[in-house]
Order: sequence, then structure tokens, then C-alpha cells
Amino acid sequence: MDLKFLVVDDSVTMRRIVINSLKSLSYSDFVEAGDGKEALEKLGADNTINFVITDWNMPVLSGLELVKAIRSNETFNKLPILMVTTRGVKEDILEALQARVNNYVVKPFTPQILKEKIDQIVQIV
Amino acid sequence: MKQLNSMADLFNRLNDLKVAFSYGEKYIPIIQSIIDFMKQTVPLLETINTSISDTAVKIPKAKDQINNVSSATELATTEILDIVDSISLEIEKIETDVKSIQKMEDEKKKIWGQIKESINASPEVIELIEKYEKLDMIREEIPKILNVFQKTRNDVNNITLSLQVQDITSQQLAAVNHLIESVREKLSSLIQNLNESETKESSILNISIPKGATFDPNAEYTKSTEKQDVADSLVSSSLNKTTQDEIDKLFS
Repeated sequence: MDLKFLVVDDSVTMRRIVINSLKSLSYSDFVEAGDGKEALEKLGADNTINFVITDWNMPVLSGLELVKAIRSNETFNKLPILMVTTRGVKEDILEALQARVNNYVVKPFTPQILKEKIDQIVQIV
Repeated sequence: MKQLNSMADLFNRLNDLKVAFSYGEKYIPIIQSIIDFMKQTVPLLETINTSISDTAVKIPKAKDQINNVSSATELATTEILDIVDSISLEIEKIETDVKSIQKMEDEKKKIWGQIKESINASPEVIELIEKYEKLDMIREEIPKILNVFQKTRNDVNNITLSLQVQDITSQQLAAVNHLIESVREKLSSLIQNLNESETKESSILNISIPKGATFDPNAEYTKSTEKQDVADSLVSSSLNKTTQDEIDKLFS
């Protein structure tokens, strides 16, 4: 399955790190967004995006709000979403799961963890 | 008779006065020491007030300095990422070239073998050919070179991954900035209260992280997989639909 990723993070550094990690896993198609609002705009403008990797703590529209917005949108609600965040508290993870993220990675991550979670999501979806 | 009663009354009053004086003699030193203490305390309170005011004024500068540290580390990280990307690109180019050389060397060896088989050379020529083959080590060295490239590529990737520390420390610094701002607000209200000569409940420090904060105060850069393990276990349980009760309990 050819994946086109939407990488959402307010930190330019983190977006580059995520994209570099995806490149090391032989993925080559990416779109970037600096917050949840921009991510929704990118999703609206590009219907070839088929995987979302998002941070949680972001200005304007947070990652959690983005997940809820995607899940309540008829066009995108089936999109696989992987949350990559520093928030590793059990309550946060449960809140993200309740918002229906497909998987959850706690920063700092390794490309192996990223690969593992992407593969798990792709197998299920 | 009335006069006698008045006299008795007067003596009683005088007795009361005597008792009051004897109490006074006992308590005057205490009252005096309280007054002395207050005299000493007032300038101290004024010093505290001034000190709090000074601190409140300095806090915005501290916030700016923390923001500067965040910006500087982000800039430095971007520069490191640029260099790392450039190294990765160079490695990729050289690796491609070396792989082409490896292909050519394989082809050369094949042709060389065919030449050796087809010529009917003298023992001296065969000896020379064998000597030449021993000197022609490039082909044997190529896999080692490719291994070094692979290792360097992994090291470069690890440098990239370690740079996640910038995002994590930025969030920690943002959390510290938020705390500093909260302290400044509380100090300002304290100064106001001191000036109004009354202490209000609101002056008690009670700092909390706002709901929409764009930072995680608990962010930490650690090699421990403990948090990821918790996430994996919860994700796995949620896939098996066994944590719904847990989720409901948490959010009810």
C-alpha cells in the first residue's frame, strides 16, 4: 500500500525528524502542517493523503481536537491516525484512544517504533 | 452614713487601681517589647515589599531569556539537521557510486576469468596473472566500505533522533515560563494586597497548567520505554475492546 503521510507538528524540527525517519523506512510521500487547523485545510485540499501522524500539543487546534474533527467528518473519518507526542500519562493515552486514534507513540521515538505502529495500523485498517 | 459608703467605695476603686498598676508593672515590659518588635518589623516588611516589587519587575526579563534559549536551541537544531541531511545525501551519492564500481568489478572478474580460460599462457604469464589478482583487492574491499557507509548512515540517523531533545526541552521551558508568569501574577496581586494592607485568599500561590496549553509540563527526554509500554498495553487492550469500561470509568 502506497502511503501519503500528513505530518502535523508545530515544531519544524520534529516534522523534519518524523519525515527523516519515514524516509529511512523507504516512504517518500509527505505533506506537512504546523497545527490542527492547517492539517484540516491540507486534508481538504488533497484527497490522496491516506495517513495522518500528529502531535498533541499544538497552538490554534490541538492534535486531540484534530483527531475529533477528522472522526466527525464524513470524508476523512476513516483515515488512519497515529499520535506521536510527549504525553505519556495513562489518562492522556486513554483520552486519545477515546477520540479514536489508531495508535500512539510516546516521544522520543525510534524509526523502528514508528514502523511497528504504522504496520499495525495498515494491517488493521 | 452615705459619706462612709462613698469612702469605702473610693478605697475599693483605689485598690482596683493598685491592682491595675501592679498588673501594668508586670505587662508594660511585654507591651514595650511588642512595640519594639513592631518598630523593627515595619522596615523589614517594607524591604520585603520592595524586594517583591523588584522580583516582579525582573520576571518578564527571565521569561524573555528562557524564550531566547528556546529560539537559540531551535536554530542550532535546524542547523544540525541541515548538516546531517547534507551528510546523508553525500553518503547516499558515494554509496551509489561504490555500488556501481562493485557491479563493474564483478563484470571485470567475470571477463578476467573468461580471458584466463581462453588463453594458453606460459607458467610465467600465469604467475604474473596471479600476482596481479592478489594486488587487485578493490572488489574484496567494497563490501567492507559499504558496511562502513551503513554504520555511518545509522549514526547519522541516531543524531537526528537525538535532536528530539530540542522539542522536549522546548516544552519543558514553555512549562517553566508558564510557571514564572503565574508567579508574577501572584506577586503582583500580593503587592497590591500589601499596599491595601490586607491579605486576600487569592494571594496564595496556586499554579495550574491551562487546559489549552501548547506544551506538556511532564515532557521528558528518556531512553526508558516505560511510557511507550503503557501506551502499547492500552492500545492493545483498546483493540481487544477490554478497556472500554476503564475509559468509561475515567470519563464518567
